[in-house]
Amino acid sequence: MATEKVKALVLRTTDWSETSRIATLFSRERGKLRGLAKGGRRLKSSFDNGLDLLTLCDMVLIRKTTGGLDLLTEAVVVRRFPRLHRELSALYAGYYVAELLADWTEELDPHPALFDEALEALEDLGDGSVGQRVLRFETRLLAELGYAPVIDWCSSCEGPLSAQALAFCAEAGGVLCPRCQAGPGERRRLSTEALGGMRALASEKWREPLADRVRAELRGVMGGIITHIRGKPPKLLPYLGG
Amino acid sequence: MNTPREQPGGVISRLMAELAKLPGIGPKSAERLTHHLLAARREEVLVLADALRALKEQIRRCELCCAPTEHVRCELCADTRRDPSIICVVEQPRDLTALQRAGGYRGRYHVLHGCLSPLDGIGPEHLTIDALLDRVRAGGVQEVIMATNPTTEGDGTALYLSSLLSPLGVRVTRLARGLPSGSVLEFANNQMLADALEGRRSF
Repeated sequence: MATEKVKALVLRTTDWSETSRIATLFSRERGKLRGLAKGGRRLKSSFDNGLDLLTLCDMVLIRKTTGGLDLLTEAVVVRRFPRLHRELSALYAGYYVAELLADWTEELDPHPALFDEALEALEDLGDGSVGQRVLRFETRLLAELGYAPVIDWCSSCEGPLSAQALAFCAEAGGVLCPRCQAGPGERRRLSTEALGGMRALASEKWREPLADRVRAELRGVMGGIITHIRGKPPKLLPYLGG
Repeated sequence: MNTPREQPGGVISRLMAELAKLPGIGPKSAERLTHHLLAARREEVLVLADALRALKEQIRRCELCCAPTEHVRCELCADTRRDPSIICVVEQPRDLTALQRAGGYRGRYHVLHGCLSPLDGIGPEHLTIDALLDRVRAGGVQEVIMATNPTTEGDGTALYLSSLLSPLGVRVTRLARGLPSGSVLEFANNQMLADALEGRRSF
């Protein structure tokens, strides 16, 4: 059984026995991991109080080759995100990031770009618009996992998008032109400003502030995409503001 | 887990299975305890059984602080010498016990019976938040001390409560955090030092 060192974000913890804890982690090197931290609930342990939600740690673990839980043996806190502890909307957004990573990524399937994006998002939350930061994270998550919506042409006929009467359809995988909007599946009216917002969020210009109305519209669109792909709404979705 | 002559679902197996559900008790400890009870005098075992039954039949939540009690009001809420203008909010009854053991605090308590954990589906409706707000709205409370655990979820619960309590005109404070008394700086971890620096105060 080989010992490994990973840098990992704590996504979820569950108490296991009097002193132990099971942690779900998202690491840069290995993707999602689940491990048993024996003594992880003790105040004085080799886990340095690092097994707390949304804490970045250097972890030492023993990988189980038989398919059981990995054994976490040590954790050193690298970074906490203090703004999450000061603003409730930022904290809920942080929980949402953790939920999406925990439920939507696979074990041993690393996504270094997504890991970096998650850390950047957690660092940014509480500084400026929480809503826009979450939309950017969702956009990057969808792109990284291969679910990026089609926003540059009609997702049905692949024709050009006019500036009027656009709709978004999660089932179709993107924006629909007026000619393709008939048919089954939920269609959500999409303003040209919101389409511009989606394009901006997918680009390096994502920090340019979106109008409240556009952000609220995109919140609905993004929630619809994620709910459609996962087959159920995320638990934290109702906690997110516009 | 079955003894050689015991069928699954028999009295002994059932007791072992029930004991093994307790925290810190594994199958082997459950077996040991079962055999200990089997060998013990009947009166001793029945006293234990009565105590267990009484626990669930006679213990209720204090009408004020929601701590477990045998009476309508717990001992601490019934004590007129305690200061009713300060309420210390804790997650679990065992946290109240720990604070009482430390001594020094002369105010009252409120037990939430958990903390907000949206990822686990635990929302405000699962805690005794309404009862706390009712206490504060009833008047006479000047300060509410947040003594939730210093974890992300504990801090989140304290944040949520303070957003509800502050508009009611009470002072909302939280426990200090940082260096334990008697320790040395050299061995303190980064978080302890950061908290201690942030929470520094004048002499």
